[in-house]
Amino acid sequence: MQDTTPKDIGAINFGLMEPEEYREMSATKIITADTYDDDGFPIDMGLMDPRLGVIDPGLECKTCGKHSGSCNGHFGHIELAAPVIHVGFTKLIRRLLRGTCRECSRLLLTEDERDEFHDQLDESRKLSRDLNDVTKAAIRQARKKDRCPFCGEIQYDIDHEKPTTYYEVQQVLTSEYSQRIAGAMQGDEEEGIERTTPDELAEQTEIELTRVNEILSGSFRPRESQRKAIEKALDIDLTEEDTNKLMPSDIRDWFEAIPDEDMEVLGINPERSRPEWMILTVLPVPPVTARPSITLDNGQRSEDDLTHKLVDIIRINQRFMENREAGAPQLIIEDLWELLQYHVTTFMDNEISGTPPARHRSGRPLKTLSQRLKGKEGRFRGSLSGKRVNFSARTVISPDPTLSLNEVGVPDRVAKEMTQTMNVTERNLEDARRFVSNGPEGHPGANYVRRPDGRRLKVTEKNCEQLAEKVEAGWEVNRHLIDGDIVIFNRQPSLHRMSIMAHEVVVMPYKTFRLNTVVCPPYNADFDGDEMNMHALQNEEARAEARVLMRVQEQMLSPRFGENIIGAIQDHISGMYLLTHDNPRFNETQALDLLRATRIDELPEPSGVDDEGEPFWTGHDVFSELLPDDLDLEFTGTVGDEVVVEDGQLLKGTIAEDEVGEFGGEIVDTITKVYGNTRARIFVNEVSTLAMRAIMHFGFSIGIDDETIPDEAESRIDETIADANDRVEELIEAYENNELESLPGRTIDETLEMKIMQTLSRARDNAGNIADEHFQDDNPAVVMANSGARGSMLNLTQMAGAVGQQAVRGERINRGYEDRTLSHYEPNDLSAEAHGFVENSYTSGLTPREFFFHAMGGREGLVDTAVRTSKSGYLQRRLINALSELETQYDGTVRDTSDTIVQFEFGEDGTSPVKVSSDEDNDIDVEAIASRVLDSEFDSEEDREEFLGSKPRPTNLSEHADDRLTEGTEVSSDD
Amino acid sequence: MVDVSQHELVPEHTVLEDDELEEVLTEYNIDRTDLPKIKRNDAALPDDAAVGDVIRIVRDSRTTDQSVVYRLVVE
Repeated sequence: MQDTTPKDIGAINFGLMEPEEYREMSATKIITADTYDDDGFPIDMGLMDPRLGVIDPGLECKTCGKHSGSCNGHFGHIELAAPVIHVGFTKLIRRLLRGTCRECSRLLLTEDERDEFHDQLDESRKLSRDLNDVTKAAIRQARKKDRCPFCGEIQYDIDHEKPTTYYEVQQVLTSEYSQRIAGAMQGDEEEGIERTTPDELAEQTEIELTRVNEILSGSFRPRESQRKAIEKALDIDLTEEDTNKLMPSDIRDWFEAIPDEDMEVLGINPERSRPEWMILTVLPVPPVTARPSITLDNGQRSEDDLTHKLVDIIRINQRFMENREAGAPQLIIEDLWELLQYHVTTFMDNEISGTPPARHRSGRPLKTLSQRLKGKEGRFRGSLSGKRVNFSARTVISPDPTLSLNEVGVPDRVAKEMTQTMNVTERNLEDARRFVSNGPEGHPGANYVRRPDGRRLKVTEKNCEQLAEKVEAGWEVNRHLIDGDIVIFNRQPSLHRMSIMAHEVVVMPYKTFRLNTVVCPPYNADFDGDEMNMHALQNEEARAEARVLMRVQEQMLSPRFGENIIGAIQDHISGMYLLTHDNPRFNETQALDLLRATRIDELPEPSGVDDEGEPFWTGHDVFSELLPDDLDLEFTGTVGDEVVVEDGQLLKGTIAEDEVGEFGGEIVDTITKVYGNTRARIFVNEVSTLAMRAIMHFGFSIGIDDETIPDEAESRIDETIADANDRVEELIEAYENNELESLPGRTIDETLEMKIMQTLSRARDNAGNIADEHFQDDNPAVVMANSGARGSMLNLTQMAGAVGQQAVRGERINRGYEDRTLSHYEPNDLSAEAHGFVENSYTSGLTPREFFFHAMGGREGLVDTAVRTSKSGYLQRRLINALSELETQYDGTVRDTSDTIVQFEFGEDGTSPVKVSSDEDNDIDVEAIASRVLDSEFDSEEDREEFLGSKPRPTNLSEHADDRLTEGTEVSSDD
Repeated sequence: MVDVSQHELVPEHTVLEDDELEEVLTEYNIDRTDLPKIKRNDAALPDDAAVGDVIRIVRDSRTTDQSVVYRLVVE
């Protein structure tokens, strides 16, 4: 048995590894680049040495004796022939080279400066600021020093040639100094510089004339002081850069001498990390388990990219050693050294700019260490933060209005694949046996059983009958999903917590997940091909949590604004509107039909009796059947009328979007908060079914004739448009005659544009109003717009009246050709037509030019949405990463992992928007809530009075208290 | 110069006395460096606030009437 007890992590230290540590943890030194011999056995001290771990099942690890799967593998090591730089630390190496003395390796800061940075570092640490700011400032200050404050050595600039080469840059006398001096002494007539004679030069520089002549002839190299004097006198530069390459071994020696106390200021803990360890002398070889070789179908072995890279390193390492022992020239050695550096560099990171990536024989760049970790598919984001899971299913979704909003229809073939573990007891033994005997193919069947001895058996069509008889209490049965199981359901992008909710399973035929249309808004789902994911829960704790916390009905109220996010949508709203707006009458059959899918199976007293003596029920009364009996509400509704509910009876008002809709439908919201989630779920389910019955009763369809208006109206619209065109022409004329007065803060051009836009938008509105006059109130498009189900009057205006001005970037269309939008127009034509005003309606059809402008405006909309989604996705990711560790503590504060307070009270007021929602207009009605609680808590008026303290309780504690009773209801306080 | 601390939208900022500070730190069981920070040059700070002081900010709140937060003055 493996030890699987969870352990506490006390602390994690990050630091550099010492070469000696690499050797100590190494299982073997690697010296040969070969992997397997001709017989297919791994070569000792080769890259596949059996001491590095086992990958073949059945073999035993030579180091730890475990088998493949339980042996994690063991590191080996390569002794590098020469030190090489670790690419991960090039920046730090550069900083250290620049900040320390080339001679004595001490930090180029005086003791006082060093202590000051030390204090700053302590403070930053306390305030949990970025320590890099301080260490960077320290290096910057150190770099300013020309000489070491301790040993007085001159300091040179360090040049870093990426990725791993460092140079010391020295300013030395150029070899062509005599020519340069002579050239400068010639003077320049054009620039008015006079000739300088050697005499004058000698005088100015205070150098002897003979010396000057020697310098001019090139036989004497001027000393530094002389060079500076000449440079000053002639205003020239006699230096050139001399670069001196620093070999890794030089750097290692340099770093070894850095004293411990200097390193703390640089943010390095010398006990854990010595800087010279950034220069590798030993290379750890990852265990074979980290780079398994694969046997291809044809029996050939294919090695991992890391193994290939290690082969390269060992080959070069060997060549290097051979060449050095043979006494090869320095040039060859340096070349090999660089090659070794290249291979070690690309072993760790194969995507460094400036270095060609190491490639596979096929030309594919190798995937080395850094590539395994980095990025979306890397170890962190791809394998640790997120991974593929078992017991999940994904398929297309489709609607099913007969389901409850808590349910999800699961295809039978999914239900048969995903299982729930059933612990067999005496009480469920029969069920368990039935599942097993149904086998893996029959529906409520089982796929596996587990005997008490831990043995797992697959249930097959052949053995299911026999197996079923053997099942006893104590066994485990992996049975299929059945109706009522709880599963998690999700649609990406998971932008808020309602994107993942728990549903109860209803197993169904066919291949799609089915869901009630009222849960579309929280998932933002539709049925144009959307797919969703389902996860079957695998232990009781998870199932219980999902049921209590994650079920759809528990997510009814949005944590964003505290109102219901689930409610009637689209056709439900049209249906409710039709049912309640004109308060139509229904006979008994009709009324019963409307309510057939609800819990109500008996009609209330009829609302009245019609002329023929038949009883009838009104839409309001039918709807009222769904309301809780004691609901009281009064508010202004969607269509602007007063909605009044008294004792669970809708007295007046139209039921539409603001009453039962998805985002803050007043009735749904109130029921959720007052009567609870379960009642709200029932209500929403019933509203949607009643609405569907209602809309089917009335019939609801829309066609092109519903957006067509009479010829008379058509011509009136044409008139308005022509009128607007005339006014635009007037404006343009006024503009051209400079008679237009500019609006405050605008140029004349802007004023004209604004006025034209105004005129044209008014023209469209007028056209819309004319069209509106001809629409009946029972026009389906009008019903949808008025009830808030879908669309608006603007859409109707555009279909029947005029489409109106097309805009790109909020302005009339101005782009295209020089000074005009299309070649159909004169240059500088400012008219409405030439800048994208569409006079036609969608019904009458657009002209080709109008169509083109319309497409321009439409394209902008598409681009905007595309850009917005990608931008907001990235923003979301960054927000999640920034806030993921914040947690509300038991004392109500919100803190991060280092216990820094972010908010002193959750949300600054310690309230959850789901529990108390209010805004500027709607304060919380504390009185109403209090009296509701009291009403439900106390049966009699007396108990209630007593609780409130308005009437004292008779007491037998003391005779002195008796008088309280006689004094009446007044409460006297003891203090 | 406009004194922003007099503006109606700027909540009241006061420097905490030592004993008050002690109370706050024990209430939340924290060091003063665990508090949120405010820059010394923040225009809303009272003139006598120095680096290392802790400021109490009392905001009006629609939901809780008053919301009290503390901030550590930093450079």
